[in-house]
Amino acid sequence: MSVLLSVEQLTKRFDEELAVDNIGFEIGEGRCVALLGPNGAGKTTTIRMLTGLLQPTSGTIQFSGMKQGQDRREWIGYLPQTPAFYGWMTGREFLVYAGRLCGLSAKEAASRSNELLERVGIASAGKRKIGGYSGGMKQRLGLAQALIHRPRLLVLDEPVSALDPIGRREVMAMIGELKNETTVLFSTHVLHDAEELCDDILIMRRGQLSLAGSLATLREENREPVLSLEIEEDDHSRQWLAGWINKLPNGILATSETRGSVRLIAQDLETARRAVLKELTKSEVSLSKLEIGHSTLEDLFLKVVTAP
Amino acid sequence: MTKWLILFRKEWLEMIRSYKIVWLPISFIVLGASQPIATYFMPDILSSAGNMPEGAIISLPTPKPFEVLASSLQQFGVIGLLLIALSNMSALSLERSSGTAAMILVKPVSFVSFVTAKWAAILSLSMVSFLFGYSAAWYYTIALFDSVRWLEVLLSAMLFALWLGFVGTLALMFSSLIRSAAAAAFSALATAALLSIVSSTLPFKQVWNPGRLPTLAAGSLDTAQHINNSSLSVWLTAIVTAVAIAIALVIATGSMRSRPSDV
Ligand SMILES: Nc1ncnc2c1ncn2[C@@H]1O[C@H](COP(=O)(O)OP(=O)(O)OP(=O)(O)O)[C@@H](O)[C@H]1O
Ligand SMILES: [Mg+2]
Repeated sequence: MSVLLSVEQLTKRFDEELAVDNIGFEIGEGRCVALLGPNGAGKTTTIRMLTGLLQPTSGTIQFSGMKQGQDRREWIGYLPQTPAFYGWMTGREFLVYAGRLCGLSAKEAASRSNELLERVGIASAGKRKIGGYSGGMKQRLGLAQALIHRPRLLVLDEPVSALDPIGRREVMAMIGELKNETTVLFSTHVLHDAEELCDDILIMRRGQLSLAGSLATLREENREPVLSLEIEEDDHSRQWLAGWINKLPNGILATSETRGSVRLIAQDLETARRAVLKELTKSEVSLSKLEIGHSTLEDLFLKVVTAP
Repeated sequence: MTKWLILFRKEWLEMIRSYKIVWLPISFIVLGASQPIATYFMPDILSSAGNMPEGAIISLPTPKPFEVLASSLQQFGVIGLLLIALSNMSALSLERSSGTAAMILVKPVSFVSFVTAKWAAILSLSMVSFLFGYSAAWYYTIALFDSVRWLEVLLSAMLFALWLGFVGTLALMFSSLIRSAAAAAFSALATAALLSIVSSTLPFKQVWNPGRLPTLAAGSLDTAQHINNSSLSVWLTAIVTAVAIAIALVIATGSMRSRPSDV
């Protein structure tokens, strides 16, 4: 795997606050990387430094294979968290404008714009003023303008947060296609999306990089059997659950717990399964769901960001 | 260079779509025409005001044509300056705060082009508007009073246009430094006012002061007076102003480079 981007000791301090604290990572050519972290972790700040919109307090950002003095922005396509446009332009005009500013010829920019409007699903609105677009349409137009010059690195800051469930699925499918064409870095709060799409993950927490690596390795390393248990809403079952959680057998640990369900992490799956099933029959609990599987990215995320 | 033209074209398109291309020239034309017309009808206006004692005879000296033009320059120096400052006051701060700067400046566009294309577009419209307005003033002065030689008019127009351009550039520069549009307009106008007050009150000649330009422009209309102004000192003031405009553009570019966007 050849490295496309390397970031070293990147730091950003706002007046009082250390928004990004000495982080370093590499992005491999052709990889799809998810940047995760709770609100205020520093994801947007990191991304804005990569795109050159924010001067780092210290640290370096280096693209491999870039000529001396070449403009880093030529290789980057960027979709901000809330894309903004000139409301008086039409969607198509904005794409052509963006394309020409990236150095495309008038003809190229025009054909590329039509192609991308089609691709992001707003071809019919291409001739309408952007001022009249919905949030989801702006998000799609934002994606199109980020792609206009076929960037080597596509940077997307929460690309699906403004979309309805159908739109979210469509855009995730688009990103799924795009990751075969170029390198992608995207931030998201939807761990399920990250899990489905990306090769590598970066988890940030309070400005620091808490976890980085390929999804497959991290999963393997942190793989634990998980039993997830759901019960009916009757009083007997409720009381049983509340009581049982406090005296769990050895080797079983409750991670998250709601009124009618619990997720259990087990040291040894077989013993845990037997113990749980025995307990369930003995206490005559009305079980509604018992799922046995392995820890997900969400479990890992929660573990990392809630660690003291 | 192509990218500069694309940026420049976008600014013009924006001015067309927002009708700025209509209202700015019209404002200047109204402003320019109103002065000679109002001066011409002043005696009638006064006598019809009705609070004059019966039988009072109003005799105002008829102003010389160049005085009429000079007083219309005074109008441009107040309201015209205000119009220019208002149309520049949010040029850069709005792009930054709305997030459009973040969309454009992540593309391989030079900061110098981004700032100067905007500057050239707004200033070219302002200059054209001023020339229309001043031509209107000249036309009505000839029609209602007497002719003024075109050479003098041209010289005064150029000096005054330079002053307007200087203040417009100041407003653009302040719009990159100050988030609030009103504060940017105020800063530009206050600087302009300060410079011109300094130039007219301090008892020594200030070749370095762009604030002299409006006085020089008005003075150059008066054939009797402009012999006193050595043309060398006029040239020096013009050059100093041009350099100041360039410095203001460098500052605005530097400000955009160090902080391309707020969001
Ligand atoms: N311009 C700024 N001035 C001062 N502080 C800032 C600025 N921008 C961000 N911060 C601070 O830096 C921290 C990180 O913010 P950032 O926007 O990078 O978080 P994020 O991970 O993108 O969060 P979210 O998931 O909510 O988008 C926050 O605590 C924020 O208050
Ligand atoms: Mg963010």
